[in-house]
Amino acid sequence: MSKPKVTIPRDTLDLLVLRTLATMGTMHGYALARRIEQVAGDSLRLSQGSIYPALIRVEQEGWISTGWGVSETNRKVKFYSLTKAGRKQLLVEVANWERNTALVARFLETES
Amino acid sequence: MTLRRMAARLAASVRARKMDEELGAEVEAHLELAERDGMARGLSAAEARREALMHFGGMSQMREEHRETRGLGAMEHVGRDLRHGFALLAREPGFAAVCAGLLALGIGASVAMFSILDTALLKPLPFADPERIVRVWEAPRPGVSNATSTLDYLDWRRMNSAFDALSASRPVAVAMSGSGEPVRLRGAAVTSSFFRVFPTRPLLGSVFTEADEQPGAGGVIVLSHSAWRSYFGADVTVLGRPVALDGETYRVVAVLSPGPGDLARSDFWMPLVFSAGQRIRDWHWLEIHGRMRPGVTLDRAKEDMNSIQAALGDTMPVWKRDWKIEVQRVDRLLVGDRFRQSVYVVFGAVLLVLLIASANVASLLLGRGAARGKEMAVRMALGASRGRIAAQLTAETVALCLVGGAGGLLFAWLLVQISIPFVARTLPYALPPAIDWRVLAFATGIGLGTGLLTAVMPSFRTSAGSLERFLRQAGRGSSGDNRAIRKFIVVGEVALSLVLVCGAMLLFRSLDNLQRVETRARIENILTMPVELPGRAYPSAARAALLYDSLSERMKAIPGVVDTAISTQLPLQWIGNGEAVRVPGVSQWIKVRFKRVDPGYFKTFGIPMVAGRGIAPGDREGAARVAVINEALARRLAEVAGMGNPVGQTVTALCPRYGQTGGEERQVGIAGIAFNERTTSAGMQEPPVIYVPLAQTPSASIQLIVRSQGEFPSLAQGLREAVREVDPNLPRREVISMQEIHAMTLSGASRPAWMIGTFSVVAVLLTAIGLYSVIAETVLRRRREIGIRMALGARAGDVAGQLIREGLLLVATGLALGMMGVFALMRVVKSLLYGVSPFDPAAILAACLTMAVIGLLAGLIPAARAARVDPVITLREEG
Repeated sequence: MSKPKVTIPRDTLDLLVLRTLATMGTMHGYALARRIEQVAGDSLRLSQGSIYPALIRVEQEGWISTGWGVSETNRKVKFYSLTKAGRKQLLVEVANWERNTALVARFLETES
Repeated sequence: MTLRRMAARLAASVRARKMDEELGAEVEAHLELAERDGMARGLSAAEARREALMHFGGMSQMREEHRETRGLGAMEHVGRDLRHGFALLAREPGFAAVCAGLLALGIGASVAMFSILDTALLKPLPFADPERIVRVWEAPRPGVSNATSTLDYLDWRRMNSAFDALSASRPVAVAMSGSGEPVRLRGAAVTSSFFRVFPTRPLLGSVFTEADEQPGAGGVIVLSHSAWRSYFGADVTVLGRPVALDGETYRVVAVLSPGPGDLARSDFWMPLVFSAGQRIRDWHWLEIHGRMRPGVTLDRAKEDMNSIQAALGDTMPVWKRDWKIEVQRVDRLLVGDRFRQSVYVVFGAVLLVLLIASANVASLLLGRGAARGKEMAVRMALGASRGRIAAQLTAETVALCLVGGAGGLLFAWLLVQISIPFVARTLPYALPPAIDWRVLAFATGIGLGTGLLTAVMPSFRTSAGSLERFLRQAGRGSSGDNRAIRKFIVVGEVALSLVLVCGAMLLFRSLDNLQRVETRARIENILTMPVELPGRAYPSAARAALLYDSLSERMKAIPGVVDTAISTQLPLQWIGNGEAVRVPGVSQWIKVRFKRVDPGYFKTFGIPMVAGRGIAPGDREGAARVAVINEALARRLAEVAGMGNPVGQTVTALCPRYGQTGGEERQVGIAGIAFNERTTSAGMQEPPVIYVPLAQTPSASIQLIVRSQGEFPSLAQGLREAVREVDPNLPRREVISMQEIHAMTLSGASRPAWMIGTFSVVAVLLTAIGLYSVIAETVLRRRREIGIRMALGARAGDVAGQLIREGLLLVATGLALGMMGVFALMRVVKSLLYGVSPFDPAAILAACLTMAVIGLLAGLIPAARAARVDPVITLREEG
């Protein structure tokens, strides 16, 4: 059972986190990881734990805010939501991403 | 990184523990949720837990990454790593002690040398704007510097535009009488401007002014801080107190603050008052110092002084009209080129030793890095990043360097304490070397630099490379790359040691040459003691002559004495008095060195007469004035006046007057020519010397000389007693042997030689340790191979021979490399050598041989061990 594995670069994971929070609103780490896996489907094999370093990085930049709440299993858990700065950053990152992929795509077209 | 993120990371690193707890709680909740989902899909509790953990991925990697991301990274770990480093060191105290010891040796020696260099070269004159302080000389000929006459000084002071202050001084020695034995004080008579040239703040009172320099002004003195402490018990009520110096009463007007004021080795300063008789132009007796105005260059000052000299033209005595004025920076005068050079050479040598010591530590760490490969591999497998491991290994070495550095500082302090008397003797003005903040800064720099040097390479070697390779190699205990680097280090050590050994060999050959230079006078079993005649007790030449007689007589009665003499200077000592001699009818004066001796002088020192006779007991006041000249003066007389056979001829000599300044022209008959005794350092030309009978031209400062037949331990005591019996009020100084005086004349050459010699021995030992450890490791690594070969019939000698060859190959490579260093660096010591070329083949060959022997010895022990390898045991062990 060898699935085509995609390892996600750090910046991309940040973008996925921001994007997911933008659509889904406030959520905790597990739900966020599951959501990313769902959207990616089989194309991505995420080590769920790797979202936590991404979350702390994005939080420290001030793009998301956190608060403590109670999980479905009645446990204290951290909830994340996008801030105003995060929303702005998401636009910037999406624009960057599109520019980069377009650039790479153009190269791949002409060079092949 | 944004500022915000920086602040957040800083905050996170402060509350790291809390953050870890929060993360833990979050992870626990995450896993619980995943488990619940799994169980909802019908999995058992255990299966659900397993799946949740699997999906989560590497837990410790994540934690590590979380910490790295949110915190300050490497910086945050420094403290923890250091603690860990110290703990590791404590676990292997032997290894730690060796490494720290090596580092302490290197760091200590270089720090001590830096502190001496700092004192000697960077701040030899501890006064404000030292570069503006100059010495002003009259120069009869280029390169000859002369003291200055009163009138010249007064004219210079009046007419110059280059100086803020121009001071005159002359040394005085007095006996301070009071309670108990008289104390001999050394001081200076100075113009009040002296305190502006060498600005020092008084601690008490205020220094004297021009008003005190007028004839008839009451005598006042300024005390140095050290004299105030030693002789006046640091009494604050000392101001205004009368002090009897040579029987005259002076009033204390000031005490200087501690520091530079103590450094002139002067106990006191009194105003320099010019009597009418001293206001002449042909008696040169003053030392002139000046403080140049800001912005005035040395050349400008020289120009200014020489234009004054030209303007004074007609008022000058005819024979002085072509004299020039020389201006020299005092700090440059204090620290001669030769001394500067030797300090630099020794400092360079010390840095080489430090380099070798750090290389050795690096090599030891590399050896251990290989041994710890397994530990590192496991830690990397558990998620430690390569950078983290490198950082941790570095921190371990830094811990080592901190211990080594602390030890080094202690060692340096010890060395500095030992060096203080040497430095004081060479640099009269300099503050004693001390461990101050500059030295500390240097020590920190050296320590950190050494730490990085020794740490970075081994730790990158250990942490680099792929994980698999590591795990594979770890099983075998040693890595090939490490060995290559360690061999390279050893080759470098051999090269550096060769440079040092070569330098030491050259300096010792040069010292040997210097010691072989004849003293041209007998120096064995001779003791001397300087004595100053107090002016009050011996006011006239006649009184002084009487004292000489009674001293001579009493000295002859000392048990064991065979010869006695009294003179103004000793052999091997430079004669400061520059006088002049003229042949009647010839206008040109011949500069001569002027020495006063009694009838016993030539006999005591075994200086033979080349022609005529020596000084006889009958040559005293009232008899015809005679003199003995040395061969050099005989030659000069022949050159200048065409005097073929000087014995029996008469010349005019300027003779100093007793107890006062100025000299008088005297007609003296030349009684004999003496063999050139040495008054200069080896290799320099002897100056013309004229010897006149002490009894005809007495002096207030004399040297008592006694010679015994063979060793005679009680001689010094006998000499002291003799002097006390003749006059208990004579201030006395240390008894010193002629051999000690001879050793002092060589100290300029022997000190660098011994220092570099010591350093090269240390370097060679360190290199031997390095070589030994590399070859010992080879033996360890190749035990199996050696075992097989011996099982197949190789003889122990073959095995040992191969290992020794390996050691010698390393040494040979190092020597080839070192030769380049030798050729590049030996020109540096050239100026320190006497009678030996910097590329002396014998010295270089000897150095190479020394290194080869060391290589052989370092290889011998491990080779012998290899030869004892029992194939059966080894193969079973490894199998």
